Amino acid sequence: MSSSSASTAAASSATTQPLLKINEVDFAYGARQTLFGVNMGIAQREVTAFIGPSGCGKSTLLRCINRINDMIEGARITKGNITLGNVDINHPDLDVIALRRKVGMVFQKYNPFPRSIFENVAYGLEVAGMKNKKLIAETVERSLRSATLWEEVKDRLHESALGLSGGQQQRLCIARTLSVRPEVVLMDEPCAALDPIATAKIEELIHQLKKDYTIVIVTHNMEQAVRVSDKTAFFYLGKLIEFNNTMTLFSTPENEQTERYLSGRMG
Amino acid sequence: MNEEKPSPSSDFQGLIKPPSFLGLRVDRQSLIKHFFTGSAAVTILTLFLIMYSLLKEGTGFIPTYQFELKVYRQAGLEFCDFIQKPLTENTALLSKLNRAVNADTATLTQKAQVRRDALFLAKGRVEEKTARLREAVTEAVETANTPPEKLAQARQALNEANAKAVGEEAFPDVYSAEERRQIASDLGTLQPDAAEPPAIIKTLSAEFAEQDRIAKEKYAGFLEAVEAFEEATEPIVELHDGIAELAKSTKEAAVQQHMAEDAKAQLLAAAESAKTPEAKANFQKEADATSLEAIDYKGKIEPIVAKLPEYEAMVPTYVAAIKAAMEKVPQKGETKESTALINEVRKQLPKHLTHAEESPALMKAWQWDKPIPMVQALTAFLFGGDWITNSSWQDFYGVVPLLTGSLLIAVIALVIALPLSVGAAIYTNQFASPREQELIKPFIEFIQAIPSVVLGFIGISVVGDLIKETSNVAWLQWIPGFPVQERLNMFNAGLLLALMAIPTMFSLAEDAIQNVPRAFSEASEALGATKLQTVFRVIFPASLSGVFAAMLLGLGRIIGETMVVLLVAGNRIAIPDFSDGIGTVFQPAHTLTGIIAQELGEVSKGSSHWQALFMVGILLFTISLLINFVSRKVVKRFQLPKI
Ligand SMILES: Nc1ncnc2c1ncn2[C@@H]1O[C@H](COP(=O)(O)OP(=O)(O)OP(=O)(O)O)[C@@H](O)[C@H]1O
Ligand SMILES: [Mg+2]
Repeated sequence: MSSSSASTAAASSATTQPLLKINEVDFAYGARQTLFGVNMGIAQREVTAFIGPSGCGKSTLLRCINRINDMIEGARITKGNITLGNVDINHPDLDVIALRRKVGMVFQKYNPFPRSIFENVAYGLEVAGMKNKKLIAETVERSLRSATLWEEVKDRLHESALGLSGGQQQRLCIARTLSVRPEVVLMDEPCAALDPIATAKIEELIHQLKKDYTIVIVTHNMEQAVRVSDKTAFFYLGKLIEFNNTMTLFSTPENEQTERYLSGRMG
Repeated sequence: MNEEKPSPSSDFQGLIKPPSFLGLRVDRQSLIKHFFTGSAAVTILTLFLIMYSLLKEGTGFIPTYQFELKVYRQAGLEFCDFIQKPLTENTALLSKLNRAVNADTATLTQKAQVRRDALFLAKGRVEEKTARLREAVTEAVETANTPPEKLAQARQALNEANAKAVGEEAFPDVYSAEERRQIASDLGTLQPDAAEPPAIIKTLSAEFAEQDRIAKEKYAGFLEAVEAFEEATEPIVELHDGIAELAKSTKEAAVQQHMAEDAKAQLLAAAESAKTPEAKANFQKEADATSLEAIDYKGKIEPIVAKLPEYEAMVPTYVAAIKAAMEKVPQKGETKESTALINEVRKQLPKHLTHAEESPALMKAWQWDKPIPMVQALTAFLFGGDWITNSSWQDFYGVVPLLTGSLLIAVIALVIALPLSVGAAIYTNQFASPREQELIKPFIEFIQAIPSVVLGFIGISVVGDLIKETSNVAWLQWIPGFPVQERLNMFNAGLLLALMAIPTMFSLAEDAIQNVPRAFSEASEALGATKLQTVFRVIFPASLSGVFAAMLLGLGRIIGETMVVLLVAGNRIAIPDFSDGIGTVFQPAHTLTGIIAQELGEVSKGSSHWQALFMVGILLFTISLLINFVSRKVVKRFQLPKI
């Protein structure tokens, strides 16, 4: 299978097989089609950014990757498939729970559970059936450290998560996602509700996480895409218009629509 | 830029309101605002009026009840009740012993009794069916010159009808074939002028008499013991009745005098405000005529108290007699029922004897002139264990039996309704398909449309029998309280109230679950939680405050409900006997709401009873307010973040 119909240079820098492959995916909410023949490969341990005007289907595609769209009545891939390490994630026998542990997700609006900080991070472990208290505590600490939140919360682990600042809550959500050691972390506009300082912290965190995780991030902030991502995909009206190295895409866009969007004349 | 810029004044003139019509500044905004302030004010005003009228009628209760309790003490009724208490206990124990001894003798007599009674019933029915022909025979016999063949004809016709009626009888399976034949022939030839009852009836009656004699002989000891138990009270009863008579006459005099005082006060007030001097003089004269002889409580109480030494001497005799009687009661009855009853009596006996032995000391410490403070009237209402009205002896307005009834029924209803409504809410909101949701929601809300009277009917006609029949099923006897004595009981009422509360609780709980942000369930599922884990670890806990509020509002509805409890709870005014454990729920009870509905229409306005019912109303109102207050607090305290 080739991944070069819309994405001309996608494979050029990837020496290995992409971890995630999106093959000619059409997607519909009920009768309403929102994705049209999306075709791309996402390489391991890289940050891939999705950009494009509102409503173009970035979130929809992102939410296909961990099948969280299953929760929406009538939402389904109508054509094509998505593979994770060559496994079709829509295979009828696929264990969705296991998939979601491999593919974590951070949402636009931080959404910690109304429980303590510790319980928030431990939740993913508990639902996975982990009983060992010590191991849980260790994992919670490791996850909070990975999310660069440990120093700020280590003295108040058992206080309510809702008492944290917005930026802290979002990093807590990232720690929560990391606790189950996923391969891929999906982030849907993770900084949209945050101020510039908190945003900078998250961006810094993404840089660090890149060493261990494959990250897909949706953003409306062009500077952010440039700062954090290796590759960028531009979507328009449910179609993948252009997919390339971030530097290349922003400096010399091949497609005219991309160029217009980047220069602020569209969207 | 436009060169001809309009002058600032013309541009901003529109900011100033046009001059108002007739100087009335009426604009739509303020009109609407005033309308809503107005309706809010009306609501608050109504609430205050309700509170005011409740309080106005209710607070008069305290002095009235204080006066009644004062008379109760000064006239010596309280004194007599020290004796009455052990007597009442004796009666309760005695009835248990009687039931036990009857259960035992029935083991011997029951069969013969069934055989005899079934025959009597059959005979009655046969005679009824042939009544017309029997009359014909009687007439023929009584008329002097009836030709013999005509009489024979009438007798023949009657015998044929008799035989036919006997043939239609379905006899219970307690007779032998020979006996059946005899019954058929004896009943088949029933003639109204027969000198003797049919032979078979005589036989069976004799059989029963014989069995009865045998039973009486066999249980002679037991029967004697029960008799001795009863007779032990006789001297005490006599003494009590004597002084009770005196006390009551004093009380009546006191009540008369109180009424006279009232009348006099009214007359004097009328005289005060009379228009003409003649009328004034008339009123004054009448008022003067009303004699207000002070009652000599001290003198009247003396002969009553004087009986104390006599009573004190009786007590040891009584205790000894009861103990001796109990010696003769068998350790174990013949039947399970009697054994249970005997054991109950044995268990309660020591307490009864101590009460009896302690009573003289209490009576010695008692003082007829010890004042009753105002607070005591209130505490006697709030913590009093007796609600006794229209008594020829003394009325008591203690709200505890009603309060426990109301609360217990509410708890039963909650225990049933809460899991059902919350479970239904979770299922409907989280697991049901949209089609199922469309079916379930209106269906549950439809329950609300059932008038509570109709539910009461169902409780009486269906649920009551169902509970009673189920409770007689052999393999269910391990359930506490089974078999159930009363069809109408707290459980029955609780069940129906639960049904009434479910729609409210379901809707509110469903709202609470619906209000849990979708972001929570998405986050949970994105972490690899299953749907069930998500529901029970995230969604349900997050909705708990709402569910709790739903429960409290359901509770409010349950406590305030009247019709169902009035019809179904059994209306026995007594503090439930908690020694049954969980089985207590199958006892009948009365409630705060029920008593108001039942009694308010019948009492005379302004009487102490009337005021007491208003006090009950105030109590209910307070409970409802409290529940509402707490539920608001809870909802406020545990508000979820808005995501
Ligand atoms: N649950 C849903 N049911 C039906 N249609 C939906 C649903 N969610 C999104 N859509 C539609 O699908 C299209 C793509 O939506 P999507 O959320 O993927 O856009 P997006 O690129 O993430 O936009 P934004 O930048 O505003 O987040 C939109 O037209 C949207 O209206
Ligand atoms: Mg989006």
